[in-house]
Amino acid sequence: MTIQPDALAIEMRSLTKSYGDTIAVNKLSVSIPKGSIFGLLGTNGAGKTTTFKCALGLARPSSGQVLFDGHPLQPQTFESLSYMPERPALYEWMTGAAHIEAARRDFSKFDTSRANELAALFSLNLRKRVGTLSKGQQSALGLTLAFAIHPQMLVLDEPSSGLDPVHQRHVLDLMIDAAAGGATVLFSSHQIGQVERAADHVAILHRGNLVLEGVVEDLKASEKIIEATFDSDAPRFAELDANPNVRRIMRQGRLLRAYIRGTGDGVVDTIRAQSPTSVRVLDQNLEDIFLVAVGEN
Amino acid sequence: MPAIFTVDPHTGVPIYLQLIEQVKRSVALGVLSPGERLPTVKQLATDLTINPNTVARAYRDLERDGVIETSVGRGSFVSQNGAKDRAAAALTDVASSAVDAAVREAKSIGLRRSQVRELFSQALERWYSPDGDAKEHKNS
Repeated sequence: MTIQPDALAIEMRSLTKSYGDTIAVNKLSVSIPKGSIFGLLGTNGAGKTTTFKCALGLARPSSGQVLFDGHPLQPQTFESLSYMPERPALYEWMTGAAHIEAARRDFSKFDTSRANELAALFSLNLRKRVGTLSKGQQSALGLTLAFAIHPQMLVLDEPSSGLDPVHQRHVLDLMIDAAAGGATVLFSSHQIGQVERAADHVAILHRGNLVLEGVVEDLKASEKIIEATFDSDAPRFAELDANPNVRRIMRQGRLLRAYIRGTGDGVVDTIRAQSPTSVRVLDQNLEDIFLVAVGEN
Repeated sequence: MPAIFTVDPHTGVPIYLQLIEQVKRSVALGVLSPGERLPTVKQLATDLTINPNTVARAYRDLERDGVIETSVGRGSFVSQNGAKDRAAAALTDVASSAVDAAVREAKSIGLRRSQVRELFSQALERWYSPDGDAKEHKNS
């Protein structure tokens, strides 16, 4: 696999979508490098699905731009792009096998034997009509169709919703396999653990705003909690509030917690100057980082 | 290739650092021998269900540290020269920061120097024989 290190597969420039007075996505700018798995996290209504729709031309952005391989959407983009919406676009009255046959006729790159392998992986009964399949099995059929064209770009909206844990793991494995082969994956998920495993980049949306973005491993290395206890109620001091590396401060009785980015040395010194009885620096996993970013911790 | 490495993606410790430490440990302890082939990036990423770029990052750092060598088309191998020494030195650093963290923790909960010293002698007693060699510990 030869990937130019800085080449971008997808670039969103100040993407904005408003519906009347409601701003669903607000000036979103993200760069998705080729060969990466980019996880989009956010609470319900954060703007994830709207972002996908705007990116893929299914909704018209109010302003801003989305580029694929440096170009706005163009017919050839679709040749190597697979999009799976939250509810896959399937015909209820058709069987899984009929969907595969239709896709074979539709897409020159569609690989029928790969599709049958994937269907087996997801224990899908292809003879059943889609209308009789569970939500998870419908997702599995959507994924089967999405991966069977060997896409270079995958946009997956909640790809594993409704799937059991074994099949959820298969979805991650498929994304990892695709990325190892040079494909780029953009996906959203409510399951932070999946993003933590499979994604190298993450963006966190909250009420349409990008609140945190970065390389997952770098975020883990740089986002820390400093926890201090005091003889009496945790003091308030301006130096801490003013420190730009402090994201949030929590005080509860004798306990003080500062959520920080960076090594935290300066913050530790600031806190030590208040003569705490103990100070320690704690790591944060992606779930902790997410909850702090959306202000729900 | 047996899955000799394991990672926990849900801790605050970056996965690539976990991998680096495990490869170094395997080399230092002779689980991986000089010249032995490592799994490919793709293989390890799919075996552990982690991001391929994360594995590649660990391999790049291991290569920079002289523990492994990668040749295009052939894959990654444990270095023939000095990999074991370099890995062992790196593990001493790991042990050093673990001891440092333990002391820092003891200090942060308000233990006195003499108490911490006592805890260390107890631990040394438990894990080392009087002549200074590590014990063949049954429960380890």
